[in-house]
Amino acid sequence: MVLRVRITKGEEARFISHLGFMRAFERAIRRAEIPVAYSEGYHPLPKFSFATALGVGISSEAEYVDIQIDPDGPKISVEEAFDALDRNMPPGIAVVAACWYLGKPALASLIEYASYRASGCGALHEAAEEFMAMDASLGTITTKSGKKEEDIRKLVYSISMTDDESLEFICACGGRAHLRPDNLLVHLSSIAGIECDVKRSRIHRTGLFVVEDGELVSPMDYKCKDLVIAKGWMPRELS
Amino acid sequence: MIDKKVLYEEILPSVSQPARYVGNELNSVRRSPKEVEASILLAFPDVYEVGMSYIGFKILYEIVNNIPEFVAERAFAPWPDMEAQMRLREIPLYGLETYEPAKSFDVIGFTLQYELTYTNVLAMLELAGVPLEADARHEGDPIVIAGGPCASNPEPMAAFFDLLVTGDGEEAIVDLMSEVARAKREGAKRADIVNRLAVIDGVYCPRLKNPVSRRVVTDLDEAEFPRKFVVPFLEAVHDRVALEVMRGCTRGCRFCQAGMIYRPVRERGLDSLCSLAKDLVKSTGYDEISLLSLSSADYTQVEELSRKLVQEYADKGVAVSLPSLRVDSFSLELAKELEKSRRTGLTFAPEAGTQRMRDVINKGVTEEDLMSAAADAFESGWDLIKLYFMIGLPYEEDEDLDGIADLSRRVLELGRNMAGKRNKAGRVRVNVSVSSFVPKPHTPFQWHAQNSREELMRKQNYLKERMRVRGLTVSFHNVEASFLEAAFARGGRELAPAIARAAALGCRFDGWSDQFRPDLWAQAFKDVGIDPSAWANKSYAYDEPLPWDHIDMGVSKRFLVREAERAARAELTPDCRTGACAACGACADGVKTRLAGEAWR
Repeated sequence: MVLRVRITKGEEARFISHLGFMRAFERAIRRAEIPVAYSEGYHPLPKFSFATALGVGISSEAEYVDIQIDPDGPKISVEEAFDALDRNMPPGIAVVAACWYLGKPALASLIEYASYRASGCGALHEAAEEFMAMDASLGTITTKSGKKEEDIRKLVYSISMTDDESLEFICACGGRAHLRPDNLLVHLSSIAGIECDVKRSRIHRTGLFVVEDGELVSPMDYKCKDLVIAKGWMPRELS
Repeated sequence: MIDKKVLYEEILPSVSQPARYVGNELNSVRRSPKEVEASILLAFPDVYEVGMSYIGFKILYEIVNNIPEFVAERAFAPWPDMEAQMRLREIPLYGLETYEPAKSFDVIGFTLQYELTYTNVLAMLELAGVPLEADARHEGDPIVIAGGPCASNPEPMAAFFDLLVTGDGEEAIVDLMSEVARAKREGAKRADIVNRLAVIDGVYCPRLKNPVSRRVVTDLDEAEFPRKFVVPFLEAVHDRVALEVMRGCTRGCRFCQAGMIYRPVRERGLDSLCSLAKDLVKSTGYDEISLLSLSSADYTQVEELSRKLVQEYADKGVAVSLPSLRVDSFSLELAKELEKSRRTGLTFAPEAGTQRMRDVINKGVTEEDLMSAAADAFESGWDLIKLYFMIGLPYEEDEDLDGIADLSRRVLELGRNMAGKRNKAGRVRVNVSVSSFVPKPHTPFQWHAQNSREELMRKQNYLKERMRVRGLTVSFHNVEASFLEAAFARGGRELAPAIARAAALGCRFDGWSDQFRPDLWAQAFKDVGIDPSAWANKSYAYDEPLPWDHIDMGVSKRFLVREAERAARAELTPDCRTGACAACGACADGVKTRLAGEAWR
């Protein structure tokens, strides 16, 4: 069985590196006594995997993790796992949803898009409209192997402006195609002809998406069952 | 509170490892310093990942915070990029828990773990906005104290502290905090509070230069040990459940300060260790339990304890480890048990290369011990062995250096031969780490001069030439750094201006090879007209007054002289746990060796 959980990375946790975030999650699994499966070998490790990494400084309400449950361990329900994990998370990290995942493909290989909200971007609104009207727009993106030129337009699914000077956008995320949110902000700034100190912009990840029949769906709506959601919490990525 | 918006939005996005400066970790305690009777900022003068690795620091944090009327927060030395940002944006040093400025705490308490953190202490005080010199502090300034092994010769740093605490801190910190609370209630002035704290047992006041006897916890089972640790988001250097199985070591290595000042051996009971392990694993979620002490393989019930812990935690993905191994096959058997799940290199510390030299330092290890332990290790499949040696020891000759080279090569050859049978000879590696001897106060070698820097360089080169063998990697400690360490370990008050000058010139993190600036240190000493070799390279006579004579760390000077004389004759002194009492003086007034599972007399 695979338990899929959705966790947050709040304001106070956003400076934790991805490695630190994973370690914190691993320790929470142990404290919560989740019957997790362990790898074989000299140094058994609990089997869990994150959907995708999140840059240092970016907060999130949509980090997904799949936990492999030990079939020979004690039985646990989604509610029990949700409560135990949430109680044992360090400050700044909370569980907002959990369910069983019934599909085969690994979580990381499913994700194709991510949505973000970047605040304090009022000056980029016009550039964003201009950008979305283009067929292609060449810019610099950061990849694992370094910086390269790429058509950024085709990596962006949508951009919308909000009343509070924020930009909300959905862009490619995952192994097949990937755009870092700060790369988009820098690109829009260059279209707008303004300096953008991207390190200082507040970026918040609002969702991750799987593509099913041409539609963007939440990883929790994809081959999942027994969904449990935190009281009073509403996913905002599709609002 | 400091300007959190500036911190989060302006500073943290632009510095390396921002998580160092955020706090908010699991099990950290947030309790406003303004709403308690007494507050202390526990300050560690090194970077977060280092400070968070020290068990003493964790113990003090837990003890203070377990008392609802008090609070302890933490602060670490900011890395130079962060320090520059803090200065630029006028953010003072702050407590990681509530972001209150350091200056708002009643007490700032530094851990003096090693000499090469002294400039960081001054940098932190300056960032806190607290006058560096104790004499210059006024009403409203926090009381600045320090503790830790370097408090056993506090003189080079004495000018910067109102008070220092010597010996075990568990009880002393409660006495201090209680007295601060009482004095505050009575409306005492800062100077009065300092005077009232100065009369607490084990507390040294540099202004009064009062003779002081170190604090010592008689029974570790009675002493408080944390049942939860703050769990860092960053990977600390030692990031695991550390169980202090015992304090003190009576093997009596004559160069070892810890082996002298933490006497006698006091072991924790098996049951309390198991109970601590259970609570700590539960409260932290760590995947490793480490049995911590100066020589954990010497813990009376180490086999039983490790077996119990392995049994309990193996299937929960929690490993058990021993940080230090004795050079013998008993330790190796133990390592084999424990390292089932982890295969890293094995470390042995013969310390010296010849039997005569090992007898001089009272390291009761023979070449046979080492070779049979190494054979055992290779036989069991380890292909990396690390060896620790020291050069510049008293009475050292070049043939003792030859001994280091020979021994290292013999271990390598042995490994090659044994692994050769499995056709794995090429994989065998021996890493040799060579440090320079630093004479430390309160040891039998405290009177000895450190070798001159030229001599230490010559010895390093001598060894390098003799150890150019494939499969053998030799690394040396920086000679300039060891020289500074010796000067500050053995120096007096005269050194303070040099430390202040070096800090002003920008010296920071002197223990970090990539940050250490010997050129700036040379300039600092020149500027203030002080020659550090007058301390590092000076021999003291037995009857000459020593800068640390007024600090009594338990072992008597008579014992240290006796041991120094035996060293000169290369005579061994047996461990008092198994052999005769060497009359070191550490046992007195109910303080005595306490072994686990033994009915205490």
